[in-house]
Amino acid sequence: MGAQKNGGVRARRDLRSVGALARVRAADLRAGAPSVGNVSYRPLRLPLSVAETRPDPQHFLSSLAQRGVAVELETPDLCFLAALYLRSERGSLASFPEEHLVDVFEQANAVIEPEGGASRRATHAIRRLREQRMLARVDGAGVLRAGEYVLTRLATGIVEFFLDDETLTHENLTLLTHTLLASLSSVVSAARCARDPEAWRGGVVGPLRVTIAELVSGIQRRQRGFDLRQEQLQHEIAALLQADWFGAVDRCQSLLDATSLTLRELNQVLLRDAHDLHAALQEIQDASVAAGVQDAEETCRVIADQVDRIAAWGAARQRAWSGYYQYVLRFLRDIVRIDPSRVTTHRVRERLAGQGGRPFALMVAAAPAPRLLRDVEPPAGERPPVRRRRPKPEPALSEEPAEDPQTKLDTDVRAVMASGVRGLGELTTRLTSELPESQRFVAAGRIAYTAARVSRPDARAERPWVPIEGGLEIEEWTLGEPE
Amino acid sequence: MSGFVTLEDVIEADPFPDVDLALRRGRHVDRDDADWYAFLVDAQALLEGFYRRFGCELIHRTDGYFYLLPTADRLGRRHLSSGEMLVGQALTLLYLDPASVEHSGVVTREQVLAQLAGVMGADALVRAMNPKRRRYDERVAEEAVRSKVAEALRRLATLGFVEAIDETRVRLRPALMRFAEPARAAVAPEKALASLVAAGELVLTEEGTDSEETEPDALEQPDALAPEDSEELE
Repeated sequence: MGAQKNGGVRARRDLRSVGALARVRAADLRAGAPSVGNVSYRPLRLPLSVAETRPDPQHFLSSLAQRGVAVELETPDLCFLAALYLRSERGSLASFPEEHLVDVFEQANAVIEPEGGASRRATHAIRRLREQRMLARVDGAGVLRAGEYVLTRLATGIVEFFLDDETLTHENLTLLTHTLLASLSSVVSAARCARDPEAWRGGVVGPLRVTIAELVSGIQRRQRGFDLRQEQLQHEIAALLQADWFGAVDRCQSLLDATSLTLRELNQVLLRDAHDLHAALQEIQDASVAAGVQDAEETCRVIADQVDRIAAWGAARQRAWSGYYQYVLRFLRDIVRIDPSRVTTHRVRERLAGQGGRPFALMVAAAPAPRLLRDVEPPAGERPPVRRRRPKPEPALSEEPAEDPQTKLDTDVRAVMASGVRGLGELTTRLTSELPESQRFVAAGRIAYTAARVSRPDARAERPWVPIEGGLEIEEWTLGEPE
Repeated sequence: MSGFVTLEDVIEADPFPDVDLALRRGRHVDRDDADWYAFLVDAQALLEGFYRRFGCELIHRTDGYFYLLPTADRLGRRHLSSGEMLVGQALTLLYLDPASVEHSGVVTREQVLAQLAGVMGADALVRAMNPKRRRYDERVAEEAVRSKVAEALRRLATLGFVEAIDETRVRLRPALMRFAEPARAAVAPEKALASLVAAGELVLTEEGTDSEETEPDALEQPDALAPEDSEELE
């Protein structure tokens, strides 16, 4: 099954099934968006016509997005379109009267859905197809009578994609390149003889844009067909092996060989004829440059680019195919032929599921990476030798005798008492007179404690409170002789 | 016909340093490594003797790949972790699956996870990838599985079992058939396993045992790490 996505179109193609299924999304134009058919289907009609000027991709995509372009086509609608296409081909019909549309729908419906009820759905199907610009009314009679309809380019393009099985073969490629060379030869002759703009237009530019471009497009279209066929072939080989493991080996081998041979032949033809095509185009281009016909020169350049792409296709596909071919060949030789009953797969699966005996682990070499030492570059110029950074030495400490504040206070208290002071108030006044006021309260307490240590205070029950300097009051003790 | 007459010719050949380093680090060299493989095919006879002196065998499988198998402790060696083994076996199943032929053996990480979960069961996979956890949060454990599978794929890619194409895709390579060796022999799988163990191709492990890497002559060094300290994973 191949899948192709192009612009707003998504199509799925299954060549193996009778009923081709296509689901082409698109709901363009609810309110009369112009020319949906053109924008949606153009990628399927290959390649670009050299006569047209391509729009800027960014601008073109923005335009598509703004208009909400989309196509939606269900299988019955696609079958209806295909039936109309075939009917018009066989009957050489230019258009379909309305009753013919219904008639064809019923016939198509009878094939895909044998149950009845088609007439009402025919109306809906015709409406849907008209809304999506697959069918166009061409009579212009309006309500006066039933209409005449034709398939649009969008509809015929979609049907042709599923109907035609165009792919590149050695025969048709040779035929196409020979026709192309013959056509180019006549254009070369015309270019040699052309003397006026009219002769250039009619004999050179016109054929280049129409005949030559169509032939080149034909080759490119078949190349894409070949790509699609190759993708299906890869799927087919996998499916063959799935279905019949060992029995499919020979069939796979022959499919691979046939495709390889075709690719090789195609590449040979392309390489050989591309050279002749380029030579002819070069001659036309030289003549057009000499005559100053810019139009012809530009057209030759565009066609030469297309020929380059065609030639490059062969080499690219052969490279890609070579990788696939080698892989499948190895698969057939190393796996399928060696294990015809697929017992290896079965055993590995069992082991992975934990039912295949004791677990094991593979041994692998694991030598450490070699250590690569850096090259040492000597520093430029003289630099001081590197030394370890040392911290600054701390300043030397001097030894000082420790002074006990209590001992000093004892000495001071004894000295004042030795001078004959016996009252705690006076003692405190003398010892705190040089201290700041904020320290006198604390100092008074320590002096009282020291005085009680160095002498025996008179322990009367009543001890009067006396003021001392600094706004403090203390109990007045009568102190004895210092001990 | 070999283009090399002496070992000196082999060592002086341009590919030798890269191929030698790659082989010593456990890399498997197959036909996709076109130059290296051609060099090894040419120099095989001379290199076999060369590597034997290092206590290794240069193995060439009929599936089309070379690798170095250490049979002594002269060259570092390790066995693959349980995660690497699980992922390797899942990759092998994908390699054997004809469906992978359609894309020339290119598979996504999701396909590997789906293969593991499909064959082992999701619960068993989570337990196997989180062997040390007795209780776990489902979301965290699943995330751990994904990251461990990614890590295992990365390691298997460095060993040449797969080729990493981008973040999510790998190309399967013939060396994956090493994971299927015990299952390929005509004899019973357990017998095949025993002979492969005897040949030093693989070791029997318990569940949850992870990779151990042995430095050359590690046991002779007094300050060598104990085996459990040299575990590379987790």
